[in-house]
Amino acid sequence: MSSINLTLKIWRQHNSDALGNLETYDLDDVHTDMSFLEMLDILNEKLTKEGKEPVAFDHDCREGICGMCGAVIDGIAHGPEKEVTLCQLHMRNFSNGDTIVIEPFRSRAFPVKKDLLVDRSALDRIIQSGGYVSINTGGTPDGNSLPIPSSNAELAMDAAACIGCGACVASCPNGAAMLFTSAKISQLALLPQGHAEKKQRALSMVAQMDEEGFGNCTNAKECEAVCPKGISIRNIARLNREYLFAALTEG
Amino acid sequence: MWFVRFLSSSIGKKLIMATTGLLLLLFLCTHVAGNATIYMSSEVFQGYADELHSHPLIVIVFSTIFLLIFLAHIGMGLFLFYQNWQVSKSRYSVTTRVVKNTFSSETMPYTGLIILTFLIVHIFSFTFSSSEVPISVTVKEMLGGFFYGLFYIVSFIALAFHLNHGFWSMLQTFGMNHPRYNDAISKLTLILPLFFLIMFAGIPLYFMTGLGASY
Repeated sequence: MSSINLTLKIWRQHNSDALGNLETYDLDDVHTDMSFLEMLDILNEKLTKEGKEPVAFDHDCREGICGMCGAVIDGIAHGPEKEVTLCQLHMRNFSNGDTIVIEPFRSRAFPVKKDLLVDRSALDRIIQSGGYVSINTGGTPDGNSLPIPSSNAELAMDAAACIGCGACVASCPNGAAMLFTSAKISQLALLPQGHAEKKQRALSMVAQMDEEGFGNCTNAKECEAVCPKGISIRNIARLNREYLFAALTEG
Repeated sequence: MWFVRFLSSSIGKKLIMATTGLLLLLFLCTHVAGNATIYMSSEVFQGYADELHSHPLIVIVFSTIFLLIFLAHIGMGLFLFYQNWQVSKSRYSVTTRVVKNTFSSETMPYTGLIILTFLIVHIFSFTFSSSEVPISVTVKEMLGGFFYGLFYIVSFIALAFHLNHGFWSMLQTFGMNHPRYNDAISKLTLILPLFFLIMFAGIPLYFMTGLGASY
């Protein structure tokens, strides 16, 4: 196990209304087998011992499946490694003497609550506007009563891999939430259970997305490149189709 | 009104860009076909121009439709550019673009504005040129000039970059993204701009290099 010395430039902001700025911290002997969040834990321990305010950041499962963590590392959401969340990014991706700039996910729809912690409830409100199926409970249906082509099941599963972390919004040059919304629309539109409500779903989720103040997609593909779950922009094409068809027939 | 709601949504605005973009692309195809006659001889080109302008109504109706489409494309493009600029200004102290080859997509508004400037210059030099001099003579005189020819070539390079992102982006907005066709589409995003670049920028080069001396 080797260890490295780092200079960290971290966005510090007391609350939503305060003005923030980048603070510089030196952190020595960071083990390269640590995750990025463990490195921040060590920094926070050090700051606490020095009587300073620790850095606030979101995290939960720390195994890359919950979608809570995330920050922009040197300009890349979730850092330089492909298809991992911040908690699964390891310090072996950095070298001794590196300066790492750590900023919160930014979007007009993501107000900073404190330091690296942002309010991503705009994404929850998009889900609430239609990202579900309305099913009245009853007897359990037979497993084979709804035939689903396996290619559709696979595509729906790929879309359902979205953990709603918001990296797509943070990395989009326009702050658009198209990849997130399209993944949520796709996972349901591809399956028969989601068919009944697919038009209304596309209309209300896009309306909510626009209302939250996300930007317009310009097909820059940045979202796809940083997505920790590798969600493809093919889903955005599907959302465009779904929305066009819904708006022309039921809008 | 559902129609207004549809077109003012984020995806609706993109669809306006894509649809008008497709129509402008079709216009380019008709324009390039007419221009191709220049490579044959001044007589063929003059014949084509005379034939076209012997039906003034066609020209007027076509130009008006084209003007409306163009205004919609530019107006909506500038509006989206403004909206996105508002969202994206001063976000990060360090910004790293992960996707390579983003030059075309990042410069869409700028290449678009170069094309607009070109269009204004082009219309005033050719469409509203003196009707006493035959158009085939004007073409050779104007495009044979170094600076004027260079301006045209630069504008067509901007057009090629604009089409390079625009063509793919248009299909993505229409929802056409499928593994079976993506290879063909990615080839077309190079072939199409190159085709228009060679055909259009070839004309000033044709006259500037002296290849068109016997034109």
